Amino acid sequence: MHTPPPAAARYEGLVTRAIAFAIDAAIVNLIGLLVGVVIGLALSILTIHDSLRVVLVACGGAAFILWSVGYFVVFWSTTGQTPGSRLMQIRVCREGGARLEPRRALMRFGGLVLAVLPLFAGLLTVLVDDRRRGVHDMLTGTVVVSAPVRD
Amino acid sequence: MIREAVTWPARALGRRAEDLALAALDSALGSRVGAEAVDRVLASALTARAVSRVLEGPLVDAVARDVVRFAVIERMGDAILDDPALERMAASALDSPVTERLLVQVLESRLVDEAVQRVLAGEEMWLVVDEIAQSPAVTEAITRQSVGFADQVAGQVRDRSRSADARLERAARRVLKRRQTGDPGSS
Repeated sequence: MHTPPPAAARYEGLVTRAIAFAIDAAIVNLIGLLVGVVIGLALSILTIHDSLRVVLVACGGAAFILWSVGYFVVFWSTTGQTPGSRLMQIRVCREGGARLEPRRALMRFGGLVLAVLPLFAGLLTVLVDDRRRGVHDMLTGTVVVSAPVRD
Repeated sequence: MIREAVTWPARALGRRAEDLALAALDSALGSRVGAEAVDRVLASALTARAVSRVLEGPLVDAVARDVVRFAVIERMGDAILDDPALERMAASALDSPVTERLLVQVLESRLVDEAVQRVLAGEEMWLVVDEIAQSPAVTEAITRQSVGFADQVAGQVRDRSRSADARLERAARRVLKRRQTGDPGSS
C-alpha cells in the first residue's frame, strides 16, 4: 500500500537525499562486510587453489553488486523508502504519487549510477529543477517527496 | 416517714464529713509538709522495693497486653498526628537554625562517610542496584529515552539538511543566474 503525495507535495533536496543515501550505503557496506568476514573466515580453514580463489572473489563481488542493487530496488518498489529515507522522512514515488514497479526501480538505480559516474554531474539538476529531480528521476519519471511520520 | 426522719440527719452528717476530709486533703497537699512527705516517700527504700516488685511482677505484662489490646499507642499516635500543633512544632523545628546546625554537623561527621562506605562496600547494595537496573520499568524507561533522543537527533539532522538544501539551491541559482519561482521544494 502506498501513500500518494499530498496536493502540496514537498520535494526533497540534494543534501537530505545525500544523507539518506549515505545511511543506506553504510548499511549496505556494513552488512556486506560482516557477511564477507564470516565467509572469509569460514573459507580460511579450507585449502583453496589459487584459480578457485579468483572465482570465489568474483562471485563475492557479484553477490555484493546484487545485494546493493537488490537493497535499493526492493525498498523503492515496496515501500518507496529505504531505511535511510525513512530516517530522513523522504519517499521515492512516481510523479503522480504511485509506487515504483520493480523494473522502474531497477532503471532508477541504473540511472543513478549513470548520474554519479560523470563526477556527480547528473545530480546537479536537483539544485535547479523545480521538482528537485536528478537525471535518474527525469529518466524514470520519479520524484522524491517528504513523508513525515504521523504520530 | 419515720425512716426518712432518721436517715436525713445521718446523710447530712456524712456529706459534712466528706467535705471536711477533702478540705483537709487539699490543705495537706498544699502544705510544705505534704511536699516533704511525698519526697520522703519517693526517696524511701520501701518505694524503691515496691517499684522493683511491680516491675518484676506480672503487672508490667498485663499493662503491656492491655496497651496492645486497647490500641493505646495507636490512639495516642492518631491524636498526636491529628493535632495541628505537631505540624507547627515540626515546621518550627525544621526552620530553626539549631536544626540546620545539627544537620550540617551530622553530614560533616565521619559517621556519614563511614555509613556510606559501609553501604557501598556491602554486596546487598549492588544486588539491589542490579535488581533495579534489570527491572522492566527501568529498561523500558531507558529504551524510551534512547528512542526519544535518537528521534530528536534525527529531527535536528532533517531540519539542518533542509535548510542546507535551500541555501545550496539559492547559491546554485545565483551562479546560473536563474530566478527562483517560489519555494523550489513545494509543488
